[in-house]
Amino acid sequence: MPDLDKLHEAVIEGDSKAAAAVTQAAIAAGVAPLDIVTGYLVPAMDEVGRRFECEEYFVPEMLLSARAMKASMEIVRPLLAAAGSEPVGRVVIGTVQGDLHDIGKNLVASMLEGGGFEVIDLGANVAPEQFIEAAATRNANLVALSALLTVTMTSMKTTIDAFQAAGLREKVKIMVGGAPVTQQYADAIGADGFGESAAAAVALARRLVAA
Amino acid sequence: MLSACGRLRCKALPACARCCSRDISRLVSQTNGSSRERLSTALDHREPDRIPLDFGSTSVTGIHVSAVAALRRYYGLAPGPVKVHEPSQMLGLVEDDLRAAMGLDVIGVFPGKTMFGFPAADWKEWNFRGLDVLVPGDFRTRTESNGDILIFPEGDETAAPSGRMPVGSAFFDAIVRQPEIDERKLDPADNLEDFAPIAEVDLDRIERSVRSAAASGYGVAAAFGGTAFGDVARVPAPFLKNPKGIRDVAEWYMSTRTRRAYIHTVFERQCEIGIQNLARIHARIGDAVDCVYLCGTDFGTQTSAFCSVATFRELWFPYYKRVNHWVHANTAWKCFKHSCGSVERFFESFLEAGFDIVNPVQCSAAGMEPAELKRKYGSRLVFWGGGVDTQKTLPFGTPQEVREEVLRRCEIFAPGGGFVFNSIHNLQAGTPVENIVAMLDAVHQFNGVVHA
Repeated sequence: MPDLDKLHEAVIEGDSKAAAAVTQAAIAAGVAPLDIVTGYLVPAMDEVGRRFECEEYFVPEMLLSARAMKASMEIVRPLLAAAGSEPVGRVVIGTVQGDLHDIGKNLVASMLEGGGFEVIDLGANVAPEQFIEAAATRNANLVALSALLTVTMTSMKTTIDAFQAAGLREKVKIMVGGAPVTQQYADAIGADGFGESAAAAVALARRLVAA
Repeated sequence: MLSACGRLRCKALPACARCCSRDISRLVSQTNGSSRERLSTALDHREPDRIPLDFGSTSVTGIHVSAVAALRRYYGLAPGPVKVHEPSQMLGLVEDDLRAAMGLDVIGVFPGKTMFGFPAADWKEWNFRGLDVLVPGDFRTRTESNGDILIFPEGDETAAPSGRMPVGSAFFDAIVRQPEIDERKLDPADNLEDFAPIAEVDLDRIERSVRSAAASGYGVAAAFGGTAFGDVARVPAPFLKNPKGIRDVAEWYMSTRTRRAYIHTVFERQCEIGIQNLARIHARIGDAVDCVYLCGTDFGTQTSAFCSVATFRELWFPYYKRVNHWVHANTAWKCFKHSCGSVERFFESFLEAGFDIVNPVQCSAAGMEPAELKRKYGSRLVFWGGGVDTQKTLPFGTPQEVREEVLRRCEIFAPGGGFVFNSIHNLQAGTPVENIVAMLDAVHQFNGVVHA
């Protein structure tokens, strides 16, 4: 039996090769895929988020940990799907139309995935209709909108309005984030929540799906 | 400080009635002969006759072309398309007539090539989503079926495009063209293709530009390029046709942890080339410029930083110190550092590394409270920016809200000099022109300028 604490350590240290190797060994030894996620990846990413919040970690360390977590998830994800495991929630995420910046969005996506969510990442410059189609077809209960630019954050309102017009607004919770975004702006455009950081976004997502 | 009517009191205008009643909508600057002295005084931490103003002298204190066009219309200046001198951010050139109308004090000297690797020259017309503008001759684009606009490096349409302007955006972002990384073959020289000894023809151009700028009577801010260590705006090398090395921004950030020796090697060589180029430039132009915009690497985010102070001191500080030390030992130039975000934690290190000026002073970021910044650093660091928020107040506020914020900031930053008025980063597309004018009027009102 592999030492799964090393998976926890590999994610925190951002060692993707070690994370993949320990995960492979654990699967081979018969460890349940869901246990790998809930027992090791989720706590490890929670710890990464904590370190980011208290400024022990910065963007480079977050990116490395996210990559290590993803290396493990690449192995585990198909097995979870085959076993019919239900995620904590299903979130469609993207940077809104007109905005190509995705580092912050990618970090939030990784933290959500590391938090046990199924993440449908639509990338950057995502049109409202793409968010709507993905949320509808993938049966998402959460939509996460990112924007870095003042000039593009207005696309968040356009997207929320489009969900309203499509009759889907009550079926999903919508959370927003990004450098120029504030709680005040989130309230003004009718979002359900605002996450100030990647770690805060995970806590918010957990609250929203539990509500 | 509030006057009797509840408005902030203008330092230069003791009587409130005067500041409230002045019509400065037809302001014409008649005093650019003293602009350079004004800037120089402020940079020396002495209080000038007025706060010097800058818009348009650098690529981080500029104005979007659509806002330049709107300002020209507002001030009734000669109609005609505005030049886009920096196409990645679609910055419009502030010509002399607009500089005078806005009452600005600084003129810029720009790098020889734009972010897409071609010179800002040989102008041609281009319709930018309904606005007629002038773009450089080698500005070549292709519009995709979804409306996104792609731009080509060095104007070469046979190369892969290096920038994209999506529908809904107003400027280009670099397209990451990251070759597959083979750790065994990774060579710092690949990330050094961006940096080379300056050519004689470029020295000639710089000398002409600087002489012209210096003769204008304005303060002169120059950017020569080559000393921005690890600026992620430049890491993807949108100016190169076939970039090699580490070109993905996320990969670069991770490399500051995992490939630190590689980064040191890049910075070391870049530093050597950069100083050699500065020496050759100085030999041509002497002290005809007031400050040099040396580096735009961002260290701050809205709420935190991109690295710890310890990492900054280990990885960036030595190179900044060497460049700035050379500048201070050999020239009268002031060293200008741009970094967005929450960067107060780095200010002591910036000072120790020899930076004189910080920009954009993003007061909306965590730990960037204006009065506290002025109290702690105001006698040592020049704040070139911080004049008004461009995330909320300027684009979305009312003219009165803009005016009040500008006056508050002037009250805080102006005493004792060490302040050049600029908004927090470039004036963005979509900013209401009445808000921009309210901002300018408030500064002039604070300054108590004489009107035409």
